[in-house]
Amino acid sequence: MRKAVFGLLVVSLFLSLPAFAGRVALILDVGGRGDLSFNDMGFKGTEEAMAEFGWEMTVIQSATAADYLPNIRNAARTRAFDLILCVGFLLADALNQVAPEFPDQKFAIIDAVVDQPNVLSIVFEEQEGSALVGALAGMLAAHYGYPYVGVVLGIEIPVLYHFEGGYRFGIDWGLKKYAQVTGEEPNVGLLWVYTGTFSDIAKGKAAAEAQLEQGAVAVYNVAGPLGIGILEAVTEKLEELGREAGPPFMIGVDANQDWMGDGNKVIASMMKRVDVGCYTAIKMVHEGTFAGGVLRMGLANRGVGISRFLDLLEFIDFGVAAGAIGAERRPEIAANWAAVRASLPTWIWKAVDELEKKILSGEIVVPKPATREEMLQVRELYPLVRE
Amino acid sequence: MRRLRATLRAVAESILAAAIGLVVAGFILKAWGYSPISAYIALFEASFRDLYGIAGALANATPLILTALTFAVAARAGLFNIGAEGQMYFGALAAVAASLFRLPPGLHLLVALAFAGAAGVLWSLVPSVLRATRGVSEVISTIMFNWIGRYLAFWLVANVLVDPYRAEKTITVLPGSRFPTLVPGTDLSYAIFLAVAVALLVYFLLWHTVTGYEMRAAGANPDAARYGGVRSAGVIVLVFLLGGITAGLAGATQSLGRPPTYAVYSGLPQISNLGFDGIGVAMIGRNHPLGIIFAAVFYGGLQSGARVMQLFAGIPLEMVRVVQGVIVLALALPELLRIFRILRRRRVELGGER
Repeated sequence: MRKAVFGLLVVSLFLSLPAFAGRVALILDVGGRGDLSFNDMGFKGTEEAMAEFGWEMTVIQSATAADYLPNIRNAARTRAFDLILCVGFLLADALNQVAPEFPDQKFAIIDAVVDQPNVLSIVFEEQEGSALVGALAGMLAAHYGYPYVGVVLGIEIPVLYHFEGGYRFGIDWGLKKYAQVTGEEPNVGLLWVYTGTFSDIAKGKAAAEAQLEQGAVAVYNVAGPLGIGILEAVTEKLEELGREAGPPFMIGVDANQDWMGDGNKVIASMMKRVDVGCYTAIKMVHEGTFAGGVLRMGLANRGVGISRFLDLLEFIDFGVAAGAIGAERRPEIAANWAAVRASLPTWIWKAVDELEKKILSGEIVVPKPATREEMLQVRELYPLVRE
Repeated sequence: MRRLRATLRAVAESILAAAIGLVVAGFILKAWGYSPISAYIALFEASFRDLYGIAGALANATPLILTALTFAVAARAGLFNIGAEGQMYFGALAAVAASLFRLPPGLHLLVALAFAGAAGVLWSLVPSVLRATRGVSEVISTIMFNWIGRYLAFWLVANVLVDPYRAEKTITVLPGSRFPTLVPGTDLSYAIFLAVAVALLVYFLLWHTVTGYEMRAAGANPDAARYGGVRSAGVIVLVFLLGGITAGLAGATQSLGRPPTYAVYSGLPQISNLGFDGIGVAMIGRNHPLGIIFAAVFYGGLQSGARVMQLFAGIPLEMVRVVQGVIVLALALPELLRIFRILRRRRVELGGER
């Protein structure tokens, strides 16, 4: 009896001691919360991990870029955090300086490689997801008889080559698949442009308008916020055609953007799961498997992927939570989305799944150009010029 | 004796204003369910308790001293130069541009600083000449030039000074033209000495030279000054010249003396608002160079304390900014009221206009 009471006491002591709960500092760049994309996804993934492991998080937002260094350093100086999680490549320089000052502190950074023994760098295999949406876009163009598929990119930096390379490969694969299934040889080209900006929404709209005018069936957004401009261009084109739903479509990026534009103007999204990255880093610390190095997140570990129905529901809630849409629109958006997807022949979606499986099994390796030279080679291999 | 009494009165006013600001902000925190006590402990402990905190406050104060001087010099001469923001951008970029070529260390820093000062002056030139020759309101023209400057600076970062390997930022400043770090493990650099030295120089110029006397006379009573032989166009040009130099140097302290990047990012995230914050600092410091040094350190402490309030008191950044805003507003109020009083008196003297 006495033993049992003592045991109970020990157990309750363990349960009530907050010191046993882990703590995570989530450091955001100046973008901060409310971007419906990168930062909000980082918060979402961390929040999910906190709920699951019963941990606590402290969010530190940066007011200016001059805060990056002190924010990371202040968090490390407390020695109170099991993990300091930096969301965004802009924090890389500061982390690279602070990490060696605190060799016992665990750090993680999303979307950049910081080569320090106590830093886990989480990067994404954007080319794998881009190949899937590329295959979809190619088959869409052939199916609807459109001459082109399009892509609007931001600044020409190496990480964007992953997107372009994967997209080119995917389009080519999709067109070949179409020929194989239908016996018709499609004549589809690629329209692509680097706008040189990740912030000028008007440029995104102008670039998308030009591509839609030439007959692009879908415009892939590889420029973050420029997607707002691309979606505007798609919406106006549809109004001109007197239609509510695409084609033409936008293809979303980073978050699941399928719910934007009533659910029937974004055919699919290439999701780059920053939330899964954050969750994974915390889980590794929780399970004691954390180690410095580079963690590549691809199709295999849900780091990237093409949007599906469950993701849509998850991200409609994400949009509702952020105040971008009202909760009452949930069923309408979901119905619109399902109708658009159902309007395509089932074999197209099955073909996308087939490509995904082949990438997962290693049967197909998607090119991942990292330098300008490698990009030029991929462009030569998949020129995608209309005859 | 009278001056001492006036100074003491000003200090007492500021302390009272700070107290009022802290109490009001405390009520706001309380109303939103945060503990004002732990918030203020985090705020002041973090910034003023140890060397690390003080270094952080001084690092933040460095550019603010300089941009505040831009506003204060003009205000002393009866002008409202709101243009420090834009002039500061070009100072920061010109200092980076000096790394397009190589010079011996040290000399390189001096050349970069000269570039920065010149760039600040260049960007203040049009408002200054328009005011001196055509009487165009410098308030309007400097505000407009801030926006033109902002977008021009965006363009320069993305197209002219861009790092070929990292498109999101400019080239990195060469080590030979950087301010060395003063306290290792913090972001305080030797640039603080430049800022303080410039403030002392401006103080000497304004209160111990004939030119300075003329500038202050033009501000205190323009008609009397003109009657006494002060050339108002000359004063205007001089005010903008000084303001351009200090604002340009403020920008340089950031691109040359702030770890870890020593470059300017696209969108100017490290330097945005330093010019506008400088106006607040000038108000708190009563437009006096020595007052500005203390005001900037206080303001800088508030900034680094704000980071820590998120960390230790769990207060979100938005709320931290509200607290900061209330305190700064309370501190700036006495000087704001003084400026309004002067403006009203001037209107009454001019007659008619209400």
